[in-house]
Amino acid sequence: MMSPAALARRTAPVFACIGLLAIWQIASLALKNDSFPTAIEAIRAIPDILGDKEALINILASLRRMAIGFGVAVLFSIPLGLLMGRSRAVAAFFNPLLMIIYPVPKAALMPIIMLWLGVGDITKTLVIFLGVSLPVIYHSFEGAKAVEEKMLWSGAAMGLSPLQRLVRIVLPAALPEILTGCRTGLVLALITMITSEMIARQSGAGNILFNALDMGQYDTVFAMIVIVGAMGICLDAAFERIRARLVRWSEPQFDLPLSFS
Amino acid sequence: MKVVPSRSSEWVKPVTPQKPASAIIEIDQVSQVFQTSSRKDHLALSDISLTIEERAFVSILGPSGCGKSTLLYIVGGFVSPTSGAAKMKEKAITGPGPDRGPVFQEFALFPWKTVLGNVMYGPRQQGVRAAEAEAQSRALIEMVGLKGYENFYPKELSGGMKQRVALARTLAYHPEVLLMDEPFGALDAHTRTRLQNDLLNIWERDRKTVLFVTHSVDEAVFLSDKVVMMSKSPGRIRQVIDIDLPRPRRRSELLLDARYQKYVVDIERMFDESDEAGSPS
Repeated sequence: MMSPAALARRTAPVFACIGLLAIWQIASLALKNDSFPTAIEAIRAIPDILGDKEALINILASLRRMAIGFGVAVLFSIPLGLLMGRSRAVAAFFNPLLMIIYPVPKAALMPIIMLWLGVGDITKTLVIFLGVSLPVIYHSFEGAKAVEEKMLWSGAAMGLSPLQRLVRIVLPAALPEILTGCRTGLVLALITMITSEMIARQSGAGNILFNALDMGQYDTVFAMIVIVGAMGICLDAAFERIRARLVRWSEPQFDLPLSFS
Repeated sequence: MKVVPSRSSEWVKPVTPQKPASAIIEIDQVSQVFQTSSRKDHLALSDISLTIEERAFVSILGPSGCGKSTLLYIVGGFVSPTSGAAKMKEKAITGPGPDRGPVFQEFALFPWKTVLGNVMYGPRQQGVRAAEAEAQSRALIEMVGLKGYENFYPKELSGGMKQRVALARTLAYHPEVLLMDEPFGALDAHTRTRLQNDLLNIWERDRKTVLFVTHSVDEAVFLSDKVVMMSKSPGRIRQVIDIDLPRPRRRSELLLDARYQKYVVDIERMFDESDEAGSPS
């Protein structure tokens, strides 16, 4: 048996969702606007979308681009961030570059990238890559910078080479911070994924959404928003699970995780 | 003694008496200059020369800011001196190495490793097989009094326990010299006393060379064969005092020992005099 407090904690997210849907339903009924379907109408449209082979292929293509963009960005950004955090020279070289790219909305670069690379997968994946890279680089950099010097000295005394220290001390020591960056990156991957498909309308979840909007199928529009939102929540919850397991050694106990799971 | 046939040549060799006073570490005219934030040069260590004998317990004692830790880092190879040189067994020290094992005030444990993982890290790095490294590490963990805590993470341990792990982790890769940088400085008085006792017990078993940095006069006298007194700005060696007290030392006996008391009082008095005679700071 679960204690009442534990039960309340477990079911709280469910109640929050139901509450949100109820507000939506009431607002929609009250406003009686064609472009604002009720929650029930939108949710009814979900099985139609997920049952449609074409739509499913589109959504899977989106997810594939997102996974590749996110994966490549993480593999590229973690080593770069760690090197920047441990070497003044590397940091001095890359810092100005990143400071220039940082405030630019990555979607704003899309017209140029489309011009060069077309409207296909490469362009969209590249935009996702750019969106994910910066927070991961930033958090890896901060994490690496904060690694205690004495910990590295201890490793050096055991005979670890500089590269071994980077991989076997800086990387694990900075892992909590790195994974915080990756979590932000994951959400940004989803956002840039949809944005890129809005601009280069060819395939993908974003394309379904905007096609439906063009055709005035508002229940489909809202259903797609719910689907994309649910994808985000599931990905984030799954990532948070993995993250919590990887950095259990650093977590304070009895902490309520900021996560939907 | 029975004469053993030549199967093992070590037996036939005449046993050379251990030279009690062979130098293991030589510090030769070391100076260290730091740039302060105001871009002024600060002379942290000035012309330090010191010889540490093998199997000696030597404390470097001085007020904070006298550069005593810097001196230890130079011996460790973590910091290069601005001028002068440090040598270990007649070879110039150019970087850290497993022959010199540090123990820091900040513990510097690997927080993602358990107690056992931390202690095994050095031997594994040196290529000791996993099973063997684990057996040795478990024995060391027991020796420092942490049996039963093998699978705990550092964050689950108290300060005193962390420092025990740090000591075991360093002992695990068999350094010839232990470099201890105010190891008990972050601990409460009671824990500090217990760790001092345990350190002495462990040390008296195999007598590694120890270079021990502290600002506590009691601690230096209680533990050491030799106390190197330093003065500050610039960091200089004031005096080297041999502590001629019998071993094994027991705290309870030593505190009542007039010779121990005299060492403590004499050293404290010397520091007081230098404070009064020193330039206004």
